[in-house]
Amino acid sequence: MNNQSHPLLDIKNLVKDFGGLRALNNVSLRIQEGEIRGLIGPNGSGKTTMINLITGSYKIDHGSIYFSGERMDGLQPNVIASRGIMRTFQISRVFKDMTVLENMVVPALCQGQSMVEAKVRAEELLEFSLLTRLKNEPAKNLSGGQSMLLQIVRGFMKKDLRLYLMDEPFSGVHESIKGIIIKNIKAMNQEKGITFLIVSHEMTTIRNLCYRISVLHKGELISQGTMEEVANDPLVIDAYLGGE
Amino acid sequence: MLKHRLNYFGLLLLLLSAIVLPFYLPDYWIHSLTITFYYVIMAATWNLLGGYTGQFSLSHHTFALIGSYTSALLITKAGIPMWTGMVSSWIFNAFLSMLLGILCLRMQGIYLALTTWAFAEIVKTYIRMDFEFTGGDRGLKTPLFFKTMNPLPYYYLFLVFAVLTIIVIAIIMRSRIGYYLRTIRNDEVAAQAMGVNTVRWKVFVFMVASVFASIAGTLYGHFTGLISPVSGEFYEMALIIIFVVIGGMRSQAGPVIGAISIRFLAEVLKKWPEIRMVLLASAVILIMRFFNGGLMEFLRRGYQRIQQRKGRGPVSVFQKME
Amino acid sequence: MGVLYCLMSLGVNFIYGIMKVINWAVGEFFMIGAYVQYLLIVNFLGARYWYVGLFIVAFCTFFLGAFVQKILIKPMFVGIIEEKTEYATIVTIAMAILFRNLAILIGGPYIYTPPDYAPPTRIGPLPLSGNNFIAFIGTIVILAFFFYFLKKTWIGKAFQAVSQNRTGVLTAGIDVLKFDMIAFGIGSALAGVGGALLAPVLLVYPLCGVIPTVRGFEIIVIGGLGSIPGVFVAGLSLGIAESLGAAFINPSFIDIYGFGLLMFILLIKPYGLFGKPERSV
Repeated sequence: MNNQSHPLLDIKNLVKDFGGLRALNNVSLRIQEGEIRGLIGPNGSGKTTMINLITGSYKIDHGSIYFSGERMDGLQPNVIASRGIMRTFQISRVFKDMTVLENMVVPALCQGQSMVEAKVRAEELLEFSLLTRLKNEPAKNLSGGQSMLLQIVRGFMKKDLRLYLMDEPFSGVHESIKGIIIKNIKAMNQEKGITFLIVSHEMTTIRNLCYRISVLHKGELISQGTMEEVANDPLVIDAYLGGE
Repeated sequence: MLKHRLNYFGLLLLLLSAIVLPFYLPDYWIHSLTITFYYVIMAATWNLLGGYTGQFSLSHHTFALIGSYTSALLITKAGIPMWTGMVSSWIFNAFLSMLLGILCLRMQGIYLALTTWAFAEIVKTYIRMDFEFTGGDRGLKTPLFFKTMNPLPYYYLFLVFAVLTIIVIAIIMRSRIGYYLRTIRNDEVAAQAMGVNTVRWKVFVFMVASVFASIAGTLYGHFTGLISPVSGEFYEMALIIIFVVIGGMRSQAGPVIGAISIRFLAEVLKKWPEIRMVLLASAVILIMRFFNGGLMEFLRRGYQRIQQRKGRGPVSVFQKME
Repeated sequence: MGVLYCLMSLGVNFIYGIMKVINWAVGEFFMIGAYVQYLLIVNFLGARYWYVGLFIVAFCTFFLGAFVQKILIKPMFVGIIEEKTEYATIVTIAMAILFRNLAILIGGPYIYTPPDYAPPTRIGPLPLSGNNFIAFIGTIVILAFFFYFLKKTWIGKAFQAVSQNRTGVLTAGIDVLKFDMIAFGIGSALAGVGGALLAPVLLVYPLCGVIPTVRGFEIIVIGGLGSIPGVFVAGLSLGIAESLGAAFINPSFIDIYGFGLLMFILLIKPYGLFGKPERSV
């Protein structure tokens, strides 16, 4: 299944500074196709920054990012998206004045699918996620959890989706919705081979979903491995529990 | 389906009455309606740019101004024939709006408003200052399109163009481009993350809106026979915004209704221009504060109430217009 | 001359810094200030005590500004209104139109001439209008006061804090909403005093706020939105650019030079000399 020498996402020596603050310090990471990778770390460790760099929202200061063998840093976010990468935001960013269905359709339209095709697929996905009854609701009327679910399911609209970056998809979300999200991730991973990188603080869920986990702390990658390995790593324990 | 048919039938009826109307009206009113159609075009296109896409431009009227002056100057000073002058003016405006659009790409709300405001002031001031070339405050005489002062042919010209504009905007908004534009307004960052090429579409909508404005402007210039930098005053821009807000931002019919009804009100209250503006400005403030959707929202809620009394109704007629 | 309009720009920039809202009606507060000053001088104070009028004007416009803020702007921040910048822009533009027309309704479309604040004087060989001189000095004094207030007093520092981090200051116990109101009041008062100060120079009529608004915004674009020092630098540069242009190129084009400078600055620094872009992700 895994091709060790050709990772899907290859991040090399990533450095990002914000003025005097170094958010990411020489971080290298590789994700294989078909993985569900967890990304954890205390607050402020640089997880969101990393996602923003991969998706092109921020510019890299040093280092490089390769996706499926092609260099990607420096490209516009929408170009990166067209290569097969979707993401969700920590605070759900749905299109508030558009209906749920209209929200869904956007990623598909961007890659040239017809409106009809897109709507059919959208309804399928909404059905799978039990959101069908809300399909004509303006997105601003959704609850926090429903909004996050919409954000996530919207990303699946992208045909040929290969990598999905999720930033805290479970935070503040009701258990039942969390279940639907997990169901979606597992289904998409198994049926379509979609790779996931999930940032989260919810250890139990991460343990359930992810085989391998990477740990960031103060902008550096301090540990990587299975949940057991990482949980027992003294560096990690120190990062979470230790003082400044 | 029936609702659909009713809808189109209603619009057709409206169109027919607009076509037939001038035969029952004195010249003064025909003239006034023609100017109203001009404002309908300006309001609808600004709504496209500022309402739907969220690009709050304060220089929309400026493109109408540039359109009219470019065309007039080319024709009168360079001796170019009418149509060539007009089309050249439109091409020039397309280019200019593309530049301005690109300049404003990185700007959000406030900066965009400020920059377009500055652009508007610069152009207006230039026209006033360079009076040897442009006629300055005294205005510039323009050749008439139909070589007659009779407003009737102009009425139909503007009517056709207004209808065309509305149709084009409707087509755009119903297409995938419409989706892209709306996402840009809602959340540009998320739009990009979903794959929307926000750069391309922002420049696109800027150009489309501005070119239509410039066409409206050239037609206006060759209709009234006299253009002046007064059309580039901030007041004109505020008026357009008033039309759109009161009629209902982000609806297809809103700007049209707003422009028509307020122009009508303006005619009725002609003797008291200040009271008129006080009322309108207050209306805008109240609408923004309490009742965001303007007249269209008002009508829609009323319609929904009626529907509810009758029992569950399908999608309302007015919603269809959106 | 550019310096005179700094008060307007300061008003707008200050409000923007605190609330991230541009008050397009600032010129109308200027105009109101001018009218009130005129009324005060003509009816109560007499020409000699014009400076008393300034204080009263400041007071009045402050309260008017705060009142407006409370009714119209505050809802933006209390979560009722969604599209904030759009709302603020439209509402302040509408206010500007409203006030202008109210002024015509109430006072008539006439131009009022307040009495001179000071007789014409001379500086060296150059004759100088007493009013201009007073306006200039007055502006400098007020700017100085404002600067001192901002940098040295506790409240001033609190305002600086709010402009840098709206949510952060909440933890420091600052009632941000109340500060908003006060800031709007101060910004409006600055414009109002500007109007009162410049009344004998620009004269008092309903649209007397228009030109200062244009100049004021020119200064803001050049200096950068939200930047207080930018206002000073830009105001000076504007004044210099206008004088130079009028002297060396062509006096009748005088309005253009300011804009020329503006375009030039925008091309090299799109956010103005000291402006900062906003972070959106």
